[in-house]
Amino acid sequence: MTKEEIFAIITRHACEVIPELEDHNFQENDSLKDLGANSIDRSEIVMMTLESLSLKIPLIETVGAGNIGELAGILYEKSQSF
Amino acid sequence: MTPVGIEAMNVFAGSACLDVNKLAEHRKLDMSRFENLMMKEKTVALPYEDPITFGVNAAKPIVDALSPEEKDRIEMVITSTESAFDFGKSMSTYCHHHLGLNRNCRLFELKNACYSGVAGFQMAVNFILSQTSPGAKALVIATDISRFIAVDAGEALTQDWSFAEPSGGAGAVAMLVSEMPYVFQVDVGANGYYGYEVMDTCRPAPDAEAGDADLSLLSYLDCCENSFLEYKKRVKDADYAKSFGYLAFHTPFGGMIKGAHRNQMRKTVKAKPKEIEEDFERRVTPGLTYCQRVGNSMGATTMFSLTSAIDNGNFETPQRIGCFSYGSGCCSEFFSGIVTKEGQQRLRAQKIKDQLDNRHELSMEEYDDLLKGSNAVKFGTRNVTLDTNFIPQARSAHGKETLFLREIKEYHREYEWVS
Repeated sequence: MTKEEIFAIITRHACEVIPELEDHNFQENDSLKDLGANSIDRSEIVMMTLESLSLKIPLIETVGAGNIGELAGILYEKSQSF
Repeated sequence: MTPVGIEAMNVFAGSACLDVNKLAEHRKLDMSRFENLMMKEKTVALPYEDPITFGVNAAKPIVDALSPEEKDRIEMVITSTESAFDFGKSMSTYCHHHLGLNRNCRLFELKNACYSGVAGFQMAVNFILSQTSPGAKALVIATDISRFIAVDAGEALTQDWSFAEPSGGAGAVAMLVSEMPYVFQVDVGANGYYGYEVMDTCRPAPDAEAGDADLSLLSYLDCCENSFLEYKKRVKDADYAKSFGYLAFHTPFGGMIKGAHRNQMRKTVKAKPKEIEEDFERRVTPGLTYCQRVGNSMGATTMFSLTSAIDNGNFETPQRIGCFSYGSGCCSEFFSGIVTKEGQQRLRAQKIKDQLDNRHELSMEEYDDLLKGSNAVKFGTRNVTLDTNFIPQARSAHGKETLFLREIKEYHREYEWVS
């Protein structure tokens, strides 16, 4: 799976968790926090994305992304090492 | 096998509390974010209260209810805490003294952030199970108070720390562990533990807390999942949705356990949102109730949640309670036990809800006065006499003898019973 496809999965789950984002035009430098996702929402989005990717890694390894593009990058690298 | 578990249990949630909704407005916090915390009140430790006064006040009714012979069988006092004021001397020595216990007794202290209370409890359980001293009892006192001076935000320490203020509480839970588990009978061997090194939240300086809220939340969720997976390996047919009448969680704030429960229900039994919401109301809310009124009492919180589940649940038929503890740093454990109607009646005799209702509600002015620090007893204080005129109505809030710190003389803490 490409990084772009992972980005699309993250944004899909972001919309599921925060329905108000349905019409939002997501950019790589959007931060989930600035889009209104609280820490619980963010953890849900990450968990749902990991499930969609069938990626079994500890959640704490996804910490450190400043925006959605960086999160997609981290998950892409993790998916490559499996 | 010897039955083992909690013979008697009580809490102490301080003499003063704060309405955290009013605090959030006072601090001009984002109210929509604040609501996600799902907290109502928090206990605030006053200058003449410390982890000893909390712990002894929790344990005293349990110890006083014992006959002299029974009392003499307490052969171990463990204090579980991250709020100790001495690196060497264990707080269990003070507790032992003020409870008037037998000198043939092991006294020591345990630390692993919010996991400490459960760590102490499991050590006590194993002492009883070992039968090296048949008939002995162990007293575990989990006691913690918040520090209010957060360290300055740094690169890894996040901005979210202001949200720790409404949820950082104080409290103690005392548990008498023995072969007569009237209140909570442990499922022996049904333990899933899981730990690893992570720098999520910590107390790196004497009067300071620091942390990365996001990392801590994710680590909690990782542990919630993995500790139950280990439990399931050891308990054939364990089912997250069906095996437990109630669930008790370490509760840093209510929203945290809502997220953890949702995640567990989705992962373990593929539950749908409506079903998860109903299950939360039915199995989790009873254990959340007291935690929402005390705030995070760190090492005491998981067992606080257990008392809340026992007091507020329905035990017309015996119920198994699943308990999850997480302590930053980190270590976690999922374990379980059985509670009967008799156990509920015994715990209800401690009138925990009344204890919470009786606390003096601080005004914002009183609370801010407290934070200014002039009244705080800092770590390492050598000599001080506490001001008994500071919020004096809190000192008689419980309408019964309550232990308070009177003075510190050459580092030694001296206490007084006040009624």
